[in-house]
Amino acid sequence: MAKATGLFRVMPKKRNLELLMLLFGFGLFAFELSQVQLATIQILREDAWFIWALPVLAASVFHLVLRFKASDADPIILPIGFLLNSLGITMIYRLDLVKALDDPDRTVGERQVIWTVIAIVLAAAVLWLVRSHLSFRKYIYSAMALGIILLILPLLPVIGNPTSGAHLSVRIGPISFQPGELAKIAFIVFFAGYLTSRREALAVVGRKVLGIRIPPARELGPIVFIWLASLGVLVLQRDLGTSLLYFGLFLVLLYVATGRAFYVLVGLVMFVAGALIASRLMNYVGDRVSAWLDPLSDLNYGAIGGSYQLVQSMFGLAHGGLFGTGLGGGLPSIVPLAESDFIISAIGEELGLVGFFALLSLYMVLVARALRIANAHADDFSKLLAVGLGFVIALQCFIVIGGVLRVVPLTGLTTPLLAAGGSSLVANWIIIALLLRLSDTLPKPGTVSE
Amino acid sequence: MSELALFIVRAGFLIILWLFVLSIISIIRADLFSERVLSKVVEKNLPTSVSSPTTGITSVGNFSAAPGSATIVSAISETPATLVVIDGPLQGLELVLDRKEIRIGRAPNNEFVIDDDYASSQHARLQRTDDGWLLQDLNSTNGTYVDGARIGAPVAIKQDMQVRIGKTIFELRG
Repeated sequence: MAKATGLFRVMPKKRNLELLMLLFGFGLFAFELSQVQLATIQILREDAWFIWALPVLAASVFHLVLRFKASDADPIILPIGFLLNSLGITMIYRLDLVKALDDPDRTVGERQVIWTVIAIVLAAAVLWLVRSHLSFRKYIYSAMALGIILLILPLLPVIGNPTSGAHLSVRIGPISFQPGELAKIAFIVFFAGYLTSRREALAVVGRKVLGIRIPPARELGPIVFIWLASLGVLVLQRDLGTSLLYFGLFLVLLYVATGRAFYVLVGLVMFVAGALIASRLMNYVGDRVSAWLDPLSDLNYGAIGGSYQLVQSMFGLAHGGLFGTGLGGGLPSIVPLAESDFIISAIGEELGLVGFFALLSLYMVLVARALRIANAHADDFSKLLAVGLGFVIALQCFIVIGGVLRVVPLTGLTTPLLAAGGSSLVANWIIIALLLRLSDTLPKPGTVSE
Repeated sequence: MSELALFIVRAGFLIILWLFVLSIISIIRADLFSERVLSKVVEKNLPTSVSSPTTGITSVGNFSAAPGSATIVSAISETPATLVVIDGPLQGLELVLDRKEIRIGRAPNNEFVIDDDYASSQHARLQRTDDGWLLQDLNSTNGTYVDGARIGAPVAIKQDMQVRIGKTIFELRG
């Protein structure tokens, strides 16, 4: 077989391709940082070297870990992750440079750099320690318990830290963290493991009514349970985005596992019904919907928590137009929370529609790679895990970018890898590490696995 | 900075950003087409002395009656010479492997016809190489499994490895 495997190396070595693209990304990052400094403060600051050097160092370490521990992993996932992350750092740093005039102690950019390093090092550790994702199958119920604990943490009295109405983050000393971001990984592992063992029953059993196969009531139990849990998130944590993310994730994995649109249909009807009732009962959901439908009305624009932010972001995007104002040339700092929830509008203003599409293509390629990995795996658990990891990025992008662009009501989620926030970075880099692990353990050409 | 320099930097950044995206896409393209390059290389390495069939052989029955089997089998003695179906509707069937390529699938123009809803019309092919038989899945819907694992790229089949296509399981014997 040695001779035959030699033939499979027609393509350049994967890790060398990855290194090449990473070096491209490092160069682009330096370009971005110099451009924002020259455009906003007209000089290059020498004390800002670490903003470039630390993430570059961390990504290089990750690349070395891949060389030794996962040499067959997909070559483009890491460069895409780094590019998105570094563009986010640039934007946040750029906002810092402008806002420092009012608030000299502002260090969002520096914190983002430190969190990036922590996140990439943690991802490298995950890749190092997890030799095969199949070992997760033993812990699917532990994963469920972990996910639920992580979701409940922000509701606890001492460490809970409500911000702008939502109970999402936990504060211990100076560090604040959103455990829900990590919970999504735990839930993906649980859903994938659970559906692997139940898919036969969910797909085949049931009576046919009007040509649609209705599964028996007891098989609907888990779906109802997940529905109630996600409504619970909506009511207790007051966060529509997270609730939609978990429920959408579950529905998609259910559909992939069984191939039956019936579940998606029923699930969507249930979720919309639940959300409608919630919007009647809870003011904040209703406010979000009316700000979405009619942001320019005086009532919504002037209200506290109304559409002011959304409208400013729309003006910013219009200001950017097709080619943008150039990095550092726009006024994204007018939009409240431009470094986190609305980073997409800051990027859209400064890079224009052309740059915005480049960014969306990178997300699309990332998700497409995850689906390709899922397709190439032979066993159900690996397939579902890869679909879940890829789809959670896609759905989160849709919810938050769609919210900023007024496709759907605005909800507070972070743009994966771009937005300021440590927990989001850690969670998304771990997702990247798991996707790399999944792509490294694909059935190898010319050999028979297992 | 002057207006012109600013414009060049702005446009330059967008161009470089798109260059990054396009390089990523070209890597994906190379990845997609690398398998096709592989199959050409494999074909080139095949022994050219083995004569290919000249007449269209349409069914399993015709197959074992094909002439010229003895010389090839003796030339490559280690290579398995028969295909034995050990499970499925065709259980017990034996085929003498006396040509350089055996096409497997549901369509009647295959050398080994598997009449099974789970088999694609052009499902897989076995190719004789210097190192033995190479099994390649031809993008079938339900896949080809060797010892329980679905194969992506061509796999060398040794004696006693079990190959499953649809409901049919076969192995190669000497």
